[in-house]
Amino acid sequence: MTRFRRYARDHAVPLALLSPAVLVILLVVLLPLLFSFYTSFSNYRLIRPDSLWDWVGFRNYARVLGDGDFWSAFGRTVLFLTVALNLEMLLGLGLALMVNRITWGQRTMRTIMMFPMMFSPILVGFQFKYLFNDTIGLVNNALQSLGLASEPIPFLVDRWLAFAAISFAEIWMSTSIFAILILAGLFAMPKDPIEAARVDGCSNWQVFRHITLPFLMPFIYIAMTIRSLDVARAYDIVDVMTGGGPAGRTELLWTLIARTAYDDARMGRANAMAYFSILLSIFFTWFFFRKLMAARRHLGAF
Amino acid sequence: MRQLKIALFAAVASCALTLPAAAADGEKFDGYTLRVKLIGGAQYEPLYTLIPQWEKATGAKVEVISRKSHFELDREMKQDIASGNIDYCAFSSHTNFAPQYAVMNQPLDDLIAADTIAGFAPLVISHATVNGELMSLPRHSDVSNLFYVKSLYEDADNKARFKAEYGYDLAPPETWAQASDQAVFFTAPPNRYGTHFAGKDEGIAGRFYEMLVAEGGALFDDDWNPTFNSEAGVRALNWFVDLYSKKAVPAGTTNYVWDDLGLGFATGNVAFDLDWAGWAAFFNGADSKIGGNVGVALAPKGSSGKRTGWSGSHSFSITKQCDNKPAAASFITFLTGHDAQMLEARTGLLPTRVKVWDDARAEFTAKGDSFMVEVFDVWGQSMAEHAFTPPLIPEWGEIANALWPKLQAAILGDMSSQAALDEAADEVREVMEDAGYL
Repeated sequence: MTRFRRYARDHAVPLALLSPAVLVILLVVLLPLLFSFYTSFSNYRLIRPDSLWDWVGFRNYARVLGDGDFWSAFGRTVLFLTVALNLEMLLGLGLALMVNRITWGQRTMRTIMMFPMMFSPILVGFQFKYLFNDTIGLVNNALQSLGLASEPIPFLVDRWLAFAAISFAEIWMSTSIFAILILAGLFAMPKDPIEAARVDGCSNWQVFRHITLPFLMPFIYIAMTIRSLDVARAYDIVDVMTGGGPAGRTELLWTLIARTAYDDARMGRANAMAYFSILLSIFFTWFFFRKLMAARRHLGAF
Repeated sequence: MRQLKIALFAAVASCALTLPAAAADGEKFDGYTLRVKLIGGAQYEPLYTLIPQWEKATGAKVEVISRKSHFELDREMKQDIASGNIDYCAFSSHTNFAPQYAVMNQPLDDLIAADTIAGFAPLVISHATVNGELMSLPRHSDVSNLFYVKSLYEDADNKARFKAEYGYDLAPPETWAQASDQAVFFTAPPNRYGTHFAGKDEGIAGRFYEMLVAEGGALFDDDWNPTFNSEAGVRALNWFVDLYSKKAVPAGTTNYVWDDLGLGFATGNVAFDLDWAGWAAFFNGADSKIGGNVGVALAPKGSSGKRTGWSGSHSFSITKQCDNKPAAASFITFLTGHDAQMLEARTGLLPTRVKVWDDARAEFTAKGDSFMVEVFDVWGQSMAEHAFTPPLIPEWGEIANALWPKLQAAILGDMSSQAALDEAADEVREVMEDAGYL
């Protein structure tokens, strides 16, 4: 006790200065987290406030563990993450490399490249819902007018086409995040190693593979970390385009959780699902962070 | 849709000028501001142009703090209940969802005069009554009947070919089996489909539910055990599955809800459409490609001989937390009064007051609008004889949400009808167990 008192006395000013920040974090982050964690052990329903005190132990977690629909949504979210992140990375890298070569009008190109990021995800969802509609959609109309299809293609219904459609929308909106971050990396890149490599007779591919890419990897992993958190909680675009359906074919974790929490009002169970989902975000953050560290070490040794 | 909206507003504005500016009972609430949450959307907004009349008559002001679609409003009110933040007096409700709001919903029996309540259709009042207490004043009712493209049914060539193929005369279907034949017959993709149906959310759950009843089945037994995975249930679901597998409906129908269906039928790409009466004036009007070419018929019968008739009423309620309940009662009485309902009836929305049925029909007759007279006759008969609601329990939303993804799975061919219903029944059983019924 005396040690604590002495510590408090010696560090009174820093502690006092830090306390508002600690207090705010406690109130804004920790309390809601604790509350939602508690409700995941209760039968809490929004429409019955008194059910907050209806303690059900691990029932919500046990049911989530045995819920096939939840685990298919979980698997689909992982697949969605993998597809969206990899394609965004490849397209972003290609875009950045091309824009980097432009000598005239590069600033305008960079601004234009950022346009998709400026739209609200809900609007992007409506835009692609209309484009891919089976009867009045632009894509179907174009395909039929060009004689490439005789019957409407149900883009938002077919299992894989619907998945491709939501992935396309997500990739369309966010590829530029990768492009911008990778472009920043390209700008910061020293020219000497590349020139030295060229003097030594390296081909373009060898220069890219052994010099440019390793240098860009930390930037790519930062973009991956940020985007993995974004995509893991993807909701708006999917909700507008398909609502997770039909028959759960495009159901992602957050469309399922939001429906359980608000439409069904089963907040306790939804929170149990959410805690499983957080594990996914933590895993991807940890994974990319480790990759980032490795890439940096590699760069240091370079 | 925008043109429709403008047309509706124009019609309402001209009518509003001719209506008497008076609240129902002449009460005064000078200086009081009544906070309300109202359902929004093209069909619902015209009524709100009457609000200034109530303000003028009572001296009160109305502050609309939320105007959203039904499902958005539903989510918002659930959050209000959870946070205990109910700082408004009146809200738009729906008889089928009202039991969810029991915590915040003020019973109206002591606030609304008995003779006012007596003006409403008894069946509709019974739908708005939960556990013996009147929870809302019904605004307009919903039940679906058949709209069809007349020229397709009157075409001599169609008649001859249909008779040759199916062995009976082509006429608006009397049974759902006939409807199924006709849907297949009229299909010629991508330009025309036989029909379409609401394929997601509560839409498909409700459509399945009414088909289940028409097939002689029930959602639950007397002890709230799910019974819809019965033979009748499979028959009901197979009606949708068959049409989808025969491509007699657009492939995207599993993503359609009400606006997609209404606007789709108005483009003339669908031979018949089971839909709400609120679309009637639009379907037969100038903004529709089939204007003047629309027929109506009672919803067909299932194999049990009973017609489909999933029904419910949009309504207005008062919160328990309201600080001026007489003002709120006066407001919702005004919005469900005779003149207000006449305004909505002119667009085809079904009145809940008995006298408005007669007066609206007389008005259509006087104007020579035989289509709307027919609409009121068909829907009037439907509301009186065939309409039924889902179970009026708070869990209806959850039950619908447990049902529809499984119904979709069967329709899309991911699983058999029986397997889909069995899985849905397990989920619904869990819902009922958690809610304390089982």
